Amino acid sequence: MSVSRLRYAPLHLSRPSTGHLPATPRYPRACIVAKWLQSRNLTTGHHLAREEAIPLRKHLKDEAKRKKTESKALGGSGVAKNQKIDARLKKWELTVGIEIHAELNTACKLFSNAPAEARGVQHAITPNSRVALFDAAIPGTQPAFQVATLLPALRAAIALGCEVQRTSYWDRKHYFHWDQPNGYQITQYYRPFAKDGLLVLRASDGVPASDLNGAETLAIGIKQIQMEQDTAKTTNLGSSMYHIDLNRAGMPLVEIITLPHIHSPQTAAAVVRKIQSILKAVDACVTGLELGGLRADVNVSVRQRGTDGTRASYSGVGGLGQRTEIKNLSSFKAVEDAIIAERDRQIDLLEGGGVIAGETRGWTLGATETTRLRGKEGEVDYRYMPDADLHPLVIGKDLVEHLRQRLPALPGEVEAELEQSYGLTQKDAKTFLDLDDGDRVDYLEAAVAHTLSKLGKSLGSNEYENQRKVGKLAGNWILHELGGLLATQQRSWADMAVTSQDIGDIVALLHEKQITMRVAKQILADLFERESITETSTVEQLVNAGNLRLRPLTEHEYEELAQGIIDDSPDMVKAVKGKGQKGKIMWFVGQMVRRGEEGTVEPEKAKKVVERLIGSVEVS
Amino acid sequence: MLSARFCWRRASRSLQSTVRHNGTTPILLGALNAAISRYDTSSEALKTIAIKDNIVTKDLPTTAASGILAGYTSPFDATVVKLLRHNGYSIISKTNLDEFGMGSHTKHSAAGPTLNPYSRGGVRLSPGGSSGGSAVEVAAGQSWAALGTDTGGSVRLPAAYTGTVGFKPSYGLLSRWGVIQYANSLDTVGILAKTVRDVRNIFSDLNKYDEQDPTSLPPSIRNRISTNPHHRSSTLRVGIPTEYNITELHPLVRSAYTRTLQHLQSAGHKIAPISLPTTKEALSTYYVLAPAEASSNLAKYDGVRYGQRTRDPDSLPKENLPLYAKTRGEGFGEEVRRRILLGAYTLSSESMDNYFIQAQKVRRLVQRDFDSVFALRNPLLDDHVDRYARDGQGVDVIVTPTAPTLPVTVEEVKQQSSIESYMNDVFTVPASLAGLPAISVPIRLVDEEAADLEETDVRSVGVQILGQFGDDENVLNVARLIEEQQGR
Repeated sequence: MSVSRLRYAPLHLSRPSTGHLPATPRYPRACIVAKWLQSRNLTTGHHLAREEAIPLRKHLKDEAKRKKTESKALGGSGVAKNQKIDARLKKWELTVGIEIHAELNTACKLFSNAPAEARGVQHAITPNSRVALFDAAIPGTQPAFQVATLLPALRAAIALGCEVQRTSYWDRKHYFHWDQPNGYQITQYYRPFAKDGLLVLRASDGVPASDLNGAETLAIGIKQIQMEQDTAKTTNLGSSMYHIDLNRAGMPLVEIITLPHIHSPQTAAAVVRKIQSILKAVDACVTGLELGGLRADVNVSVRQRGTDGTRASYSGVGGLGQRTEIKNLSSFKAVEDAIIAERDRQIDLLEGGGVIAGETRGWTLGATETTRLRGKEGEVDYRYMPDADLHPLVIGKDLVEHLRQRLPALPGEVEAELEQSYGLTQKDAKTFLDLDDGDRVDYLEAAVAHTLSKLGKSLGSNEYENQRKVGKLAGNWILHELGGLLATQQRSWADMAVTSQDIGDIVALLHEKQITMRVAKQILADLFERESITETSTVEQLVNAGNLRLRPLTEHEYEELAQGIIDDSPDMVKAVKGKGQKGKIMWFVGQMVRRGEEGTVEPEKAKKVVERLIGSVEVS
Repeated sequence: MLSARFCWRRASRSLQSTVRHNGTTPILLGALNAAISRYDTSSEALKTIAIKDNIVTKDLPTTAASGILAGYTSPFDATVVKLLRHNGYSIISKTNLDEFGMGSHTKHSAAGPTLNPYSRGGVRLSPGGSSGGSAVEVAAGQSWAALGTDTGGSVRLPAAYTGTVGFKPSYGLLSRWGVIQYANSLDTVGILAKTVRDVRNIFSDLNKYDEQDPTSLPPSIRNRISTNPHHRSSTLRVGIPTEYNITELHPLVRSAYTRTLQHLQSAGHKIAPISLPTTKEALSTYYVLAPAEASSNLAKYDGVRYGQRTRDPDSLPKENLPLYAKTRGEGFGEEVRRRILLGAYTLSSESMDNYFIQAQKVRRLVQRDFDSVFALRNPLLDDHVDRYARDGQGVDVIVTPTAPTLPVTVEEVKQQSSIESYMNDVFTVPASLAGLPAISVPIRLVDEEAADLEETDVRSVGVQILGQFGDDENVLNVARLIEEQQGR
């Protein structure tokens, strides 16, 4: 996998060698039951329609393959098709609202003190071993709200710019399914704990220029965030056997609902990606979309530009077309593709004189069309009612303020910091954030700090510029040089033995011109090969042991070296002089670096000498 | 040894009648033996307590009289059961009830109906419900006292029908951890015994904050209750709600009630007519809210994790049966099914506003009615101490009949429609909606009143005393006063 591909990959892909980590113990949902119920219009909600967890990378690969064969089959008609699509999009405007469910990073369940099922834990947890009486709906038991679960939820709400409500309430949402022991989910339907937030996106988040309309940022309103319970896991064994694991039952989730402010599939995916990165940055949430820690439902409608659609209004945003809901999208790509498919289906239908029905639809990875799950008549009436056992949730302003002040930096803030103080390009800054859960940002900071302290006063007095200069250099080394090694060696960031101090040392030596680029790369490769950081070879030791420090040659020594090569290679000289192939100069420089003792030849100097000497050579 | 054997016989007789009456089971030998070894075998010394079978116990099965929980034994003891054990009471049996507490005659039970020991014309009377099993145990002397649950009158009505004392404390005082929910915003644990004194003793042993019950009143509110400022003189102001003087009131109930009030008046207490205008709407409000909550609380019974499950073809997609419809259809009795359907309807999105929301508003009005007549302010509300005119006109307690009629016979019950049997709760439901303490005390009919009644009839009428929220002590005091007036 190349570095450039890594950069655009979602967060979870940043660990290229999943082989080192056992698969997360998450069982697929009860697909067969879901399909059976769907076929009979009995689907009772999101819990049924969840897709089987296909490893994302496998999916992407299959997807790419499928697209390739498809475009081959289409032959040259692709361009024409694209133009047709563009024309349609000029006529029709897409509107999307998203609901995201994210599992909170907590130690216990929402209404019992049973330990939370830690995701990403490397060993499987015995099924039904983390179940309190209430989680199994044992008669006579009652919920006990775990105050600590509120903290990550509040951090999420604050990070998403929401107004935390002083008083919110708990409601029961009823539907029958064996993955829900009480027969209802406790959620916050009527009065959620957080409202009216704002998500700010930039081009670097993946928002297309057409959505930005020339502005720097695009703001998407967050309608509300509510806390609620997760359901149990069902494993299907054979045709009529299901195993239920209640370990996940009652785990705390937040549901984040955006306003219908989104007008392109790319922006929709960007919104989900951004929300995920914010949730992770503030430690509200541990696992991302593809590991099941996050799920998205999207509401899609289209209207002819300049019209009021069917005058439908959702969450107070009016003048829209009839919407449909697509449930349980479990990857960024699924979000994007499902919206494209549903948009096109709705436009087709409307252009053909049809009417959009308000219905719930499903999307399978790799499909070209969404499929109808149930219409209005098949809708489950959730019979929401307040839970009389639970007190209203009262959240003090002081707590919110306390958390706000201690909130970790958000991805947008870190990105800006990387650009301004570390001299990175917007693209590189974004990549730093996206890779390895942002681990490399800390790494960069440590490396730069190390270099700066090492170089000390020799850098000059402009600290801001010094940091930018060193930051840029270190950033390059971490992202590109180290990144290249990781990719070619198929190693993961977590397994890598090069420390930030090593990078800091290399950057300092380079800056002082104590080693050449070539030597630096060699040292990095050596460090990379180390089994672990406990091996004591430091950059300094490697440089000393290999006698790699740049010992500047005298002008005379440069000339001698160059002259020797010129004499040996009359053909090359001819190529430069006679045919004017200036590029060949670099061949001479290369030869000089090779022939000279390791770490003695500085390419720029060598180039000047070669140019001068060749200039004086008479060509016969 | 002789007395021990006697005790054994007695115990086994009691056991048989428990089984016969109540369809539920056995006895704690350990406690019994302990008492036997002390050579003191009266049920009072044993402090034997029967527990309504919707309160969970570890050592005896708990079925809530429902087929869906047939054979179920709880992995834990309810907090009230734990407290009883801790305080040296002997839990001897689990008693019959209307399934999950839904009924007024203890006839809707998977174990069959419970019969009142009293009879009329050779036909046994209804014991009232839903805690009929507990009331009968106490009335028949099979246990010294019993725990019931009271959601809309389920302890007070059986007490009135069996001539026992039945107390429903303020909502939140006794822990509901381990009490199988029917309508959790109304459910309370209640106490049945022969005398107010016994009720009070048990109450004070159970009246403890329990952190496992989220609706248990926390120490802060308990403290506020005990320091609730009031200026009580030795003479009481007793409120008589004019709305309770309904035409359906049985003449014997009316005369026993009037006599009780006259006794109070002649003892120097003031009788004050009061108005509780929302009384009429209270019953229908209750029958909207309680089934709504029931439909939610009973959604957990699916036979998947515990309890009865209908074997195949339930849950078989091929048979076109969704989920566990059959298990629930077969496990629940008729009245429970009726209330689940009713509740599911009133919570459905089309009728929510017209029924559930409306009923919640009426519930608030019922509570406001009470707050406006009591001299004591409601300790749960801190905002409107002066909202209602007090000017020394507030009452200390309200006294009403417990039920509009004497108990009907079980034959008559069979002729009643559901709606008719809901009418039994008309006087008990308002206190439940407002969460107030209420107690039913038996008033023995005097000879001229009882002239037309057979010796086998109950020959007493229940009178109900209501107090402000948290004013349980005062309610018990007045109950004791009324009890004393009868020379007991």
